[in-house]
Amino acid sequence: MRDIPIRDLRAAAHPSPAHPGARGAAEPVRGRLDRAVSDAGGLERLPGRLVRREGQPPGADPAVTEAWEGLGYTHSLFWNMFERDSIDDQGLTLEATVHYGRNYDNAFWDGERMVFGDGDGQVFNRFTSSLTVIGHELTHGVTQFTANLAYEGQSGAINESLSDVFGSLVEQHSRGQSAAEAGWLIGEGLFTDQVQGVALRSLKAPGTAYNDDVLGKDPQPAHLSGYIETEDDNGGVHLNSGIPNRAFYLVATALGGNAWDTAGRIWFDTLTSGTLPRTVDFAGFARATSRAAVTRYGAGSREHDAVIAGWSAVGLGGGLGAGSVARSGIPPVRPSVSGRAVVDPGSHPE
Amino acid sequence: MKVVVSRSGGFAGIRTTWEVQVDEQPDRSSWAELLDALPWDEVSETAPQPDRYVYRIRCAPHEVVLGEQQVCGPWQKLIDRVRGVNDEL
Repeated sequence: MRDIPIRDLRAAAHPSPAHPGARGAAEPVRGRLDRAVSDAGGLERLPGRLVRREGQPPGADPAVTEAWEGLGYTHSLFWNMFERDSIDDQGLTLEATVHYGRNYDNAFWDGERMVFGDGDGQVFNRFTSSLTVIGHELTHGVTQFTANLAYEGQSGAINESLSDVFGSLVEQHSRGQSAAEAGWLIGEGLFTDQVQGVALRSLKAPGTAYNDDVLGKDPQPAHLSGYIETEDDNGGVHLNSGIPNRAFYLVATALGGNAWDTAGRIWFDTLTSGTLPRTVDFAGFARATSRAAVTRYGAGSREHDAVIAGWSAVGLGGGLGAGSVARSGIPPVRPSVSGRAVVDPGSHPE
Repeated sequence: MKVVVSRSGGFAGIRTTWEVQVDEQPDRSSWAELLDALPWDEVSETAPQPDRYVYRIRCAPHEVVLGEQQVCGPWQKLIDRVRGVNDEL
């Protein structure tokens, strides 16, 4: 089980010669991994100097290697588990820049590439050191090319949560961890030893990732009752994401097995459904996941029930249609057949 | 007169605030020049970029919110200067 992701990665990096759709050919090979890592050399200028392309051997810089491998693991999850060919589903080159700025305590997605700082060494280590961060940033790209959720308020917090969810799944998939085995932490190891904290966020227990004399306590709410109204952080997108994060964790652990197989599939279907409004709120997103569960697994299926229970536990179960049509025995409608949900017990158009 | 720079967001979502009492600074006339010259009323809204910092800069009666990608020129100079004073403390 544990060597499967690595095998997937190799297969993507070295596609079968039976499909000679290399660059310039009329029919490109779907799922072909194409990466480019650049080095900003401590400046705040992008993209920086290109230091590694596909086919080139690894160098001595650990930040370059971590970014390179992280791009590969992220591609592997999206291609091998969800058949999504890179962030745009068209094989777009995955691009990263490392060593951005001096003592830069951050990583971000600028609309085209992931950018990583080295950290200041006092509070933060380099941001490539956690695979969840790399998966998080690339997922911002997937979101941009699909639902393109507005990055503010509740839709922004959902955007953030999706990046945390798939960032965590990239790590779980690379390690061959089941939902029960996973740590469900974002940015584990990013803090230096001087900080009292295990990670930046916890999907399992939002609000518990750190409690430090200088930084304070992890402010994430784990339930809608703790929703933070603020003008900071684009309306608290990194704070309120704790609420949908915990809902996903609850769904994934209730279903058991590998989180990417079922819970991850429902969330991926939701993100790529083409029907998610750009400014969707928490309740609308919860309904959309419920519809996605019904579409793939059927109304009243254990997957559908788990989604309803997960959202209910964080205060967002209202309007999800538990127990009514959900028990009617209507069979699932597979997206591969219909392309959209036609069975929807919680039909609340956004 | 007080200048407050509050930085929120970023991947970590941790808010950090730096303050300077301009009247207590040895080079307060230089501070006043810098503050007077800032384009307080010329800040346009910009689409937020995922995980970038958001800066809120206050100096009564002025207040602006800048995305990290908008921080350059005199705004960059002000933020660096405010942080520099706090680093000395």
